[in-house]
Amino acid sequence: MRIRLRSALFAAALLALAPAADTQRPAHAQAQQRPLVWGDNLPASLDPHALFDVPSQFILLNVYDGLYRYQGNPPELVPWLAERHTVSEDGLTWEFTLRPGAKFHDGSAVTAEDVVYSFRRLLAMNRAPAAAFRPVLRPENVSARDERTVRFVLSQPYAPFLAAIPLVAVVNPRAIRPNVRNDDWGAEWLAANAAGSGAYRINPDTYRPRSQLDMERFADHFMGWSHNPRPIDSVRVRPVLETSTRVLALMRGEIDATDSYLPTDQVERVDRNPRTRVARDESMRVFILRMNNRKPPFDNRDARLCFAHAFNYQGFNEVILKGLVIRNASPNPNNLWGNPPDLQPYAFDLERARQHCDRARAAGAPLGREIEIHVQTELEQTVQAAQMFQADLRRVGVNLKIVPNTWAGITSSTTRAETTPDMWVHWVSTYFVDPENWIGQMYDSRFHGTWKASSWYRNERVDELLTRARTSLDRAERERLYQEATRLVVADSPDIWVYNTVNLRGLSRRVQGYRFSPVGSGGELRSMWLEN
Amino acid sequence: MARFVIRRILLALPALFGLVVLTFVLSRVVPGDPAATLAGDAATPAQIAEIRAQYGLDRPIWEQAIVHVRQVLTGDFGRSVFSGRPVVEEIAFRLPATLELTFAALLLSTLFGVALGLVAALDHNGPVDHLVRLLSIGGLAIASFWLAIMLQLVFSMDLDWLPLRGRMDVTLGTPPRVTGFLLVDTLLAGRPDMLASALRHMVLPAVTLALPGLATIARFTRSGVLEALQKDYVLYARAAGYGRVRLAAIYVLRNAVTVTVTQIGLLFGALISGAVAVEAVFDWPGLGTYAVQAILSSDYKALLAVTMVVGVVYAVVNVAVDVAQALIDPRVAEEMS
Repeated sequence: MRIRLRSALFAAALLALAPAADTQRPAHAQAQQRPLVWGDNLPASLDPHALFDVPSQFILLNVYDGLYRYQGNPPELVPWLAERHTVSEDGLTWEFTLRPGAKFHDGSAVTAEDVVYSFRRLLAMNRAPAAAFRPVLRPENVSARDERTVRFVLSQPYAPFLAAIPLVAVVNPRAIRPNVRNDDWGAEWLAANAAGSGAYRINPDTYRPRSQLDMERFADHFMGWSHNPRPIDSVRVRPVLETSTRVLALMRGEIDATDSYLPTDQVERVDRNPRTRVARDESMRVFILRMNNRKPPFDNRDARLCFAHAFNYQGFNEVILKGLVIRNASPNPNNLWGNPPDLQPYAFDLERARQHCDRARAAGAPLGREIEIHVQTELEQTVQAAQMFQADLRRVGVNLKIVPNTWAGITSSTTRAETTPDMWVHWVSTYFVDPENWIGQMYDSRFHGTWKASSWYRNERVDELLTRARTSLDRAERERLYQEATRLVVADSPDIWVYNTVNLRGLSRRVQGYRFSPVGSGGELRSMWLEN
Repeated sequence: MARFVIRRILLALPALFGLVVLTFVLSRVVPGDPAATLAGDAATPAQIAEIRAQYGLDRPIWEQAIVHVRQVLTGDFGRSVFSGRPVVEEIAFRLPATLELTFAALLLSTLFGVALGLVAALDHNGPVDHLVRLLSIGGLAIASFWLAIMLQLVFSMDLDWLPLRGRMDVTLGTPPRVTGFLLVDTLLAGRPDMLASALRHMVLPAVTLALPGLATIARFTRSGVLEALQKDYVLYARAAGYGRVRLAAIYVLRNAVTVTVTQIGLLFGALISGAVAVEAVFDWPGLGTYAVQAILSSDYKALLAVTMVVGVVYAVVNVAVDVAQALIDPRVAEEMS
């Protein structure tokens, strides 16, 4: 045994020293055999009902299916597992009819009972994706009318219900039930396994949390593959933590795709490389500097307007971010409905800022105190924005202190106004495509205590408009209500809205058929193929 | 010797218990609410409160501390508040990768550090000595993340000799997991191609991690050898006609490396903590990257477990180093007894 081991080690050492080993030349010799290597982040759990963040959308879109799905850019809601739906006149009863022939990865049919199980599981687990449904949907009000019809009876009208439907993955109860422990709905098992019907199935044996996931194409996917004559059979997800390594790995051909937030200073470099390119797609992700409207001086409108005029939008967007973003005037992304067409963004104007600050000081706003702005240290843009702002605010006599923090650290402090920072910097991404996702949840005071509403803004008229917009099923009326609410919010200037994101994903040139949608950030693999 | 080993183990236990208490206190003073993180981006305050209750985070701090100590003593670190999976399971996936990298770095540091220290001392104030001193100062001064990126640029991007990141080429797949140590598992799977790939992937991170340790060991070995060379027994051995190489290798080195062996123990802790930056740059799926993710997501259960595991490994290595020291120099065991 010892001799065999020694021989094997010796042989391995020889192999390791061989300079022309095939394994080291991924981009040259083995292009045809190589699977797609996806370098974007993996979620902490593979359970689609446990988490809802940008990485978990990759699992949701590829391993699972929902009743409806967003496709394209601007995103359009298209029937997916459901072929159609109806809604009662009072907006309370929604019925979805399933498409025939859809199968889970174990070959069993997707039925209405499975959809019921999925929604009940989601509501019972009460994790992030449930937040959109809990206020209006009780588990017992989801039922199967027959094998192909699911009925939802809402406790009150909720117009964004359909828009939020794609958040929910339909899971296979036959795969989950044998793995339930202590009434956990199989959560521990599903965190590292899958029970879906999606276009790709995972290999749980090779899964390593957050570092490695192998997926193979599901040939029997109900949508078929006729749209893509050369679909990708094997996908290896290998998240790359460090930005510099991620870019180098792409340029060397070790990965085929980065995340979709490539730093703007790397874009030219990746584009120049003959093997790689950068996909630029306008998304729906608004960059915001929050102000805590409950804390002085931000309880004073003039103080907020002073800050809104003291941010150098053009300098930040055009110089620091090299023009790879789009100026955004309001909390809603520019490319979403519900925005007033004539809305003018705030301009960088230090003279006006000074006038507003003087007025605020005269009204007793404590602009002389040190104001803290919390940044997410690992996200460079948040730091750059704060540093630039700090320099400009000094010119109007305001002292801004930059406090390093993390997303988790900041969001956990926003449950109370007293603990919410004076200011903080973040983005609001697309969870579902409806103004409710942005202005609705950010400026209706019923959401106080959530990170989205962390400016603690309150305007009764805005609350009323947003409530009506949430319950009306008339799209034209909703449009009008959101436009009016947006005008009021922008006039009050509770926050500073800077830009709408252009998603930048580094791609190997062999990746073809990449289609971006703001929901999932272009991570849906069905349409992709690899050039030799 | 057995009494000596038992005594050393017993001495390590209070330190570990102190670590359990200290890590718990630290985990409660750092900002961030794990329940809010776990509830996710779209969660309501009610959802966060429910999760806080579910994980016992709403109980009095002393009660949480007792539960924590009891869990740790039974080897149960609970579930990650982020992934919902048992932390022990997650660490079991990660620890072998870090240990593999750390041992490789330790091996490189020790082999080259002792050799360079010896050569430098034998050429005291000569050109080799100056070169080794320069190298050891550089090794201690260079930031590991900078060195890591430089090595990537030179050996992966420019020369195309070595892979840039990860542990294995994706086209080769993954060997069945038996021990978690990739080098061992590839051997057990009878896959020399995988072993070769794993070794190639290990070169750059191991060299990056090894350099500061190598510098430390070279410096200590050099000064130990220089000191030993001044001893009378060396003079007598010279007078008896022993050759330079035999003298250095048999008589001088054994007496000189006692201090170096102690340094190896301390170095192991430094290597594990240094692995955080190196693992991040080379995408090495070990405890370091796990700790970074845990910090960013306020996953205090995972952080506590990582700290404890590193503490236990550190304690075990220190006991092993003390035993090794006693074997090299029996007077150490006698003094301790």
